[in-house]
Amino acid sequence: MAEPEYTVVSDSETSAEEKPSSSYPEIAIGIDIGTSQCSVAIWNGSDVEILKNIRDQKVNRSYVTFKDEIPSGGVSDQVALSEHEIFSGAAIFNMKRLIGRMDTDPVVHASKNLPFLVQTLDIGVRPFYAALVKHVWRSTTPEEVLAVFLVELRAMAEVQLKRAVRNIVLTVPVSFSRFQVTRIARACAMAGLHILRLMTEPTAVALLYAQQQQQVAHENMGSGNEKIALIFNMGAGYCDVAVTATAGGVSQIKALSGSVIGGEDVLQNVMHHLLPNLDSIFSSHGINEIKSIALLRIATQEAIHKLTTQMSVPIELDLANGSKIKTTLDRAEFEEVNKEVFRKCEGLVLQCLSDAKLQVEDITDVILVGGCSSIPKLRDLVLGICKRKVAYSGMNPLEAAVCGAALEGAVASGISDPLGSLDLLTIQATPMSLGIRADGNNFVPIIHRNATMPARKELVFTTSQDNQTEALIVVYEGEGKSVEENHLLGYFKIVGIPPAPKGTPEINVCMDIDASNVLRVFAGVILPTSQQPATPFMEVRMPTVDDGHGWCAEALLKTYGSTLDVNTFQKKIQH
Amino acid sequence: MFSITSNHLLSVPKSPGLYHQQSLEKHSLRWREKKSITIRCCYRKRGVEAKTADYYKLLGVSVDSNPQEIKEAYRKLQKKHHPDIAGQKGHEYTIMLNEAYHVLMAEDLRRNYDASIGRAGLGKDFSGLGYSSWKGPLRSQALFVDENSCIGCKECVHHAGNTFMMDDTLGCARVKVQFGDEDKQIEVSLDSCPVNCIHWVDREELPVLEFLIRPRPREAYGVFSGGWERPSNVFVAAKSFHKQLKRQDHQQHQRTAQGAGDEETTAQVKARARASIKLRMEQLSRLWSWMTDISG
Repeated sequence: MAEPEYTVVSDSETSAEEKPSSSYPEIAIGIDIGTSQCSVAIWNGSDVEILKNIRDQKVNRSYVTFKDEIPSGGVSDQVALSEHEIFSGAAIFNMKRLIGRMDTDPVVHASKNLPFLVQTLDIGVRPFYAALVKHVWRSTTPEEVLAVFLVELRAMAEVQLKRAVRNIVLTVPVSFSRFQVTRIARACAMAGLHILRLMTEPTAVALLYAQQQQQVAHENMGSGNEKIALIFNMGAGYCDVAVTATAGGVSQIKALSGSVIGGEDVLQNVMHHLLPNLDSIFSSHGINEIKSIALLRIATQEAIHKLTTQMSVPIELDLANGSKIKTTLDRAEFEEVNKEVFRKCEGLVLQCLSDAKLQVEDITDVILVGGCSSIPKLRDLVLGICKRKVAYSGMNPLEAAVCGAALEGAVASGISDPLGSLDLLTIQATPMSLGIRADGNNFVPIIHRNATMPARKELVFTTSQDNQTEALIVVYEGEGKSVEENHLLGYFKIVGIPPAPKGTPEINVCMDIDASNVLRVFAGVILPTSQQPATPFMEVRMPTVDDGHGWCAEALLKTYGSTLDVNTFQKKIQH
Repeated sequence: MFSITSNHLLSVPKSPGLYHQQSLEKHSLRWREKKSITIRCCYRKRGVEAKTADYYKLLGVSVDSNPQEIKEAYRKLQKKHHPDIAGQKGHEYTIMLNEAYHVLMAEDLRRNYDASIGRAGLGKDFSGLGYSSWKGPLRSQALFVDENSCIGCKECVHHAGNTFMMDDTLGCARVKVQFGDEDKQIEVSLDSCPVNCIHWVDREELPVLEFLIRPRPREAYGVFSGGWERPSNVFVAAKSFHKQLKRQDHQQHQRTAQGAGDEETTAQVKARARASIKLRMEQLSRLWSWMTDISG
C-alpha cells in the first residue's frame, strides 16, 4: 500500500551519504516500536548504527495519518507533521498500547479522550478505532496502523542498506501478553517482515550493557567479573524493570517485571488535573472538542517536559470551546497528581529485585532508559531504592533498546566480529507464567515466570469425574491464582481417555518455549499399565484464540460445565 | 516401571539420545562434555543414579563445585549451544543446560538432588578409615600431603623415610605412618618441602582427606571410559563431603527413628515426589523429542 514512497526516497540524493556495505546481506535489523517513537538500528560490520529518516532524525514519531488517499506514517516525508496535525483527529497513534486489547480493558477506556475515535461496546471484542478523514470517521485497526508504519520503516532501511529487509528483532514490553505479541507479529507479516527474535525491551538494553561491559573488560585487560544491573525502562506506554547478571558478554536475565503504565498515564493525570471535567466535555468527539483536546495535550506535554528541568511552569491556554486555563503547575503538584504512577513503578522495581533474590548492595549499575526516565521523581525513586547517587551514564536512554535489538539481530543471524564485539549472548527469561485451568477455576502454572528460555516443563493432571473420557486443556498466561485474572491463550480437547475412576488416568501436559518465543503445548494420556500414550499426543502452538477471546472461556464453561475438567495429579508415589 | 519405558524408547532406531550424539558431533565440541552428552543415549541404569551424573557432568563441573564455577561453566556452554548461536538444533541441549543450572544453583534443589543421588559420585566406597597407620599414641593433629601440589621431589622421604613414602605410579609423596620418625626429623622434612604441600590437619579430617586425594575412576558411560580424577581442592571437597555425610546420617537417623518407614517426613515425601516427577519429565521430554524426531 505504501509502495510508492519507496521510489520517492530512493530518488533523493540527500540520504546517499556513507552507507554500510552490503557484505552482510542477512543481518536482521533491530526495530523498537515505541508507543510514541520508533527507531531502527543495524549492526554495520563494526558497530551499531541507528538508521536516520529523510529528515536526518534517528527517532520517528509513531503515528499514521489517514488524511490523504494513502495512510502515511511520515517516515519519508520531507516535513514532519506538527503536533497540531497529529492531534487533529486524522492521525492514529498510541497503537502499541492498544493493540490486542479487548473493549473491556481499562487501558482502552482510558484512551477514549485521544483525539481519534476509540469506541467500545464492553462485550469482550475488539474496540472500534477510527480516524477523522474529511468529516467522516474512517475505521482502522491497530494492526493496520502498525503495518503501515512498519512498511515505511522497512522501506527506509532497504533504501539505506540497498538490499531487501525481511528479518527483524523486535522489542516488546514485558507485560505484553502472548495474544498481543501475535497481533504485532501479524502487523509485521502485513509489512513483509519476519520476527527472527522477540526481546522484551529491558532485555535488549541488558544486551547492550553486556557488550559495553565486555569492551571495558577488554580495554582494562580485566578479569571481566560478573556485573549486575537493574534496568528501569519507562516509555510512553509501558514500564519495565529487569535485573541482569552479565559476565564475558553473556547477559543473563534474572528477573523481569512490567506493567502498562507510562508517560501516557502521566499526561492523562495532568490533563485531568488541569481540566477536571475533561471526559464529559470530550465524549461527543465533535470537531471543536478534538481541537480543544489537541491544544490541551500539546500544552500539557510541553509543561511536563519543562518540569524535568524547572521547578514550576506557567500554563495559559485558550481552548477552542471558549473556556480558558490559566494556572501554574509546580513540580510538587505534578508529583502529587502522579503519585499512584510512581507508587506502581516503585512496586515493579521492588518486585523485580525480590524475584531476582538480590540485595541492593549486589547491584553494580542502575540503568534508567525510556522517555520517562528524565522525570526527576522517577530517577530519585529508582536510585533511592537501589541506594545509588547516580545512574549508569553509558547509554542514550532513547536509543538503548533499539541498539540492543540490533546486537541481537547480528548475533542471531550468525554474524561474528573479528574484534569480538559480537561475542555476546542474551539468555532471556519468560516474563509471565504459563499454565492451564485445573482444580476448578484455578490457574496451575507449568512454566513459571522468570524461567530461563528456552524452557520446557511438564506436569501430570488427571480427570475430575468418574469414567471421564475427554478432558479440556485451557491454556492461560499470567500470575493470577484464578483463571479469570489471566490471559486466555487457547484450548483443546484430549479424547480417548480410558474409562476409569476419577483421579486415576494420567494426563501429561508439557509446555515448550523455544528461543524465538514460540509456545507449544504437548499433551496426552499415558496408560499406567504400559506407560505408552493411549492415543496420539496433541501438539498445539499457542495462542490459538482470535477475536472475542474475552468471552471464549465463559462460553466453554456454559456449554460443558465441569464435565471436562482436570485436576492436578496427586497419586501416591510408589517405589 | 520407568525402565520399561526408557528401554522401549531406546529400542526405537532413531532414539533421542542418538540424535543428540549426531547433532553435537557435527557441531565440533572440544569440551570433555562431549562425553557427558552421550549420557542420555546410554541411559541404562535405572532411575536416579544414572541421572546424577547428568547435571554435574552436563555442565562439566565436579560434584563439589561452588556456584561460581557452575555459573561460569553454564555460561561457557550456553555460548556454544544457545539457539541464537547454534540454531534450532541447540534447543534440546539448552533446555537440559537450563534445567541442570536451575537445580544446581538453588541451594535447596541441589540438596534434594544430591540426596536423591545418594552417595553416588564421591562417597560410594568411603570406608571411614584412613590410609596411613599410626605409630605411638593417637594425637589430635596428623600429617597430610596434598598430592595435587606435590612435585615428587622426595625431600620429605629423604628426611623422614619412616613417615613418608613415594608413590611411584602417581609420582608424588604420601604419609605412610603418622609420626613414624622423631618430631625433629618430621619438622625438617616439612621445612624442606619446596611447595609446602605437607599440611597439619585435624585427626578427624584425615580419613576423608586421604580418601578424597586418591584418584578414582571417573564414572564411565557406554564406550567412553572416564579416566581418573580427583578434586582440584581437596580441602574444599572435604568440607562438602562432610556436609553430605552428616546429611545422610541425619536422614538415616530420622528414618530409623520412625520405624520401618511407611511414615516418612513430609519433606521426604516431597523430595521423593519431586524425584518421581523428574523422572516422568525426562520420560515425556524423550517422548517429545522422539516424536518431533520421527515427524520432522
